Amino acid sequence: MSDLIVLPLVLPLFGAFLLPIVMRTSISIGAWIGPAILAYGCWILGDQWMSGTALPFSLAIGGFAPPMGINLYIDSLALLFAFAVQLLGLLFWPFKIDQETARRQALMLLLVAASTGLALSGDLFNLYVFYELVAVATFGLIAASGSSAAYASTIRYLILSGIGSVLTLLGIALIYSQTGTLNLAHLAQLAPEQLNNKLGLTAFLTILIGVGVKAELFPVNTWAPEVYATAASRVSAFLAGLVSKLALLIILRLLVLIFHQPEAVQVMLVLGILGVITGELAAWRAKDVRRMLAFSSIGQLGMIFIALAIPEQGGLLAVLALTFHHLLIKSGLFMLADGWGGAIEKLRGAAKRSPLAAAIFVLFSLSLIGMPPLPGFWAKFTLITQLAAQTSPLYLIGLTVFLLATVIEAAYLFRLAALLYGPAAEDTPIDTIPKPAGLSLATASLFGIGLLAAALFIAPVGDLLNHVAGQAANADLYINTVLAGTGGSQ
Amino acid sequence: MRNLTGLLFAGGLGFMLLAIASGLDFGAPPMLVGGAIQSAAPQETGATNLVTSVVLGYRGIDTLGELSILFAAAAAAGLVLGRRHTTAGTLTEGGFVLKHGGAMLFPLLMTIGFYIIFHGHLTPGGGFQGGVILAAAFFLPLLARPGARLHHGMLSVIEGFAGSSFILIGLAALSEGEAFLQPMLVQDTLGQLVSAGTLPLLYLAVGLKVGAELAGLLSHLAQTESEV
Repeated sequence: MSDLIVLPLVLPLFGAFLLPIVMRTSISIGAWIGPAILAYGCWILGDQWMSGTALPFSLAIGGFAPPMGINLYIDSLALLFAFAVQLLGLLFWPFKIDQETARRQALMLLLVAASTGLALSGDLFNLYVFYELVAVATFGLIAASGSSAAYASTIRYLILSGIGSVLTLLGIALIYSQTGTLNLAHLAQLAPEQLNNKLGLTAFLTILIGVGVKAELFPVNTWAPEVYATAASRVSAFLAGLVSKLALLIILRLLVLIFHQPEAVQVMLVLGILGVITGELAAWRAKDVRRMLAFSSIGQLGMIFIALAIPEQGGLLAVLALTFHHLLIKSGLFMLADGWGGAIEKLRGAAKRSPLAAAIFVLFSLSLIGMPPLPGFWAKFTLITQLAAQTSPLYLIGLTVFLLATVIEAAYLFRLAALLYGPAAEDTPIDTIPKPAGLSLATASLFGIGLLAAALFIAPVGDLLNHVAGQAANADLYINTVLAGTGGSQ
Repeated sequence: MRNLTGLLFAGGLGFMLLAIASGLDFGAPPMLVGGAIQSAAPQETGATNLVTSVVLGYRGIDTLGELSILFAAAAAAGLVLGRRHTTAGTLTEGGFVLKHGGAMLFPLLMTIGFYIIFHGHLTPGGGFQGGVILAAAFFLPLLARPGARLHHGMLSVIEGFAGSSFILIGLAALSEGEAFLQPMLVQDTLGQLVSAGTLPLLYLAVGLKVGAELAGLLSHLAQTESEV
């Protein structure tokens, strides 16, 4: 049963390779391959979650026991992320049929497979391979929207991403040169002796900056606004909602397992604070809806980095709460922006044109700001209590910035909401005000329903996240599961 | 100003790299996992080429990822190239020597390419290297005769089936109750051409995929240049 967990990772690759051939003979059959594979992936992962198999467990690929071979590590956090990848892949599936359908859908399948790999893999270099695959597939999907602005932003993203990849590889090479292994569990075993030094810290920093490109970390996030403003909304939603969080997951695993130096945490705290300040201020000044969302996402990820700087179960709980909350909200907001792209001013009076879209926007905004009883409040509240419990003054600065950022957030989100519900400009007839397309609106509503459901069942959701955080924070459990557990041909 | 910051960044990075390099112990790599693999690989995978046993055995899923990266890059390039038709490229026919030399080299390159693929588990080389040589064999005539076209449909069929058969071989092991991508049929035939179980099959799939992918990409580039 648990062997099948490799299928959600492999079948999308299989589909991607075959899709161009099938599409050549029959487009109508080919169009169903991708969604069918993703639905099957959801079912396998969901079934794994429900079946109550003891988590975490480790799966050796090729039957070579780690650390010799590569293993997948499946704890509840990895399973949750993998399920989210498959589900969002299905929700953001590029249905559009034209002559490039085969290529676009194949790239989407590759992106889903690589993201699943990022969630599940337990090997540092294997993570790097999937990280690269995510990058390359994303380049294609962004450029697929075909405008020259999209090409320009893709080139920028490509260069920055390339620098990030080189830095990550440098960090991995440093780690390997010190320890002679790439398996995360094995590294966790060796780290206290061999990586607890300057070289180890350098390795962490290069990986942090490298992986930070995708996680929209402060100095290397300049690609985000342009890419999100020019790529197709579904791609932007997938990138901002999910891929950035998977990059965070890598950093989280490295922090929990390998790098316990206080300096590592401090750097993240500082970069997170700077990210919050720059992101939120830029969002406040943004004149374009999608840019505003992109900058706000930079700010939000800065907050998650601040939370990540508290290396305990409580901090991890705040990370997970903020992460999944932002995943829901930003995906939904980008789906709304599908019809609302362009200048903010054009949206004057849009609530009359599409009341549902405006209502969903207000719901998302309220939760993003942290209005009780919406889940955003609990996520932010967890972080505030965690930050306040720390003694170092740097954390208090983080707390101050965090609270200020919330005020700025409220300012720009309510400004947009006021525009939406305000009177339309006199010279524009109501039919010309943009409105989100039906399918996008339906997808956004799904996220809205998900948010409301989470608000209703906040207690069980909180318990679940706490359990997940506890499991993810347990480095000894990871080591024992991988190295002593299911080796050999299991 | 921009140049200055760039220079500062590059200088800082260079200084950091030097500082790191000075702390590294060159020539004495820690052979923790490497040593273990070296001593166990011939028995566990049946391949005399240790690199192959790592590439297809111990880290097989990495190789699958690399294949996918190549595929993604080709698909992304196709997406971009499919829209843009530059008018560059004057179609000068190649000279006599180039044309016929290209035609004569074609079978030789094919032979070498397949030789390297089929012996990947015995000697240095393998699917990636052989595949690139196969692609070169197809591209040489294309350079000599700029008007010639490659059969794109055929290439993409080869590529798709090669890629999917890599995964199918892995799934076959899974359906036998073993782990995904576990090398099967390991027999006591170390060092022979037919040995190492499924590894040569995997390398054949890799070689065909890489060859078809690169040939298709190159001819795609050439065509985009010549289209008006």
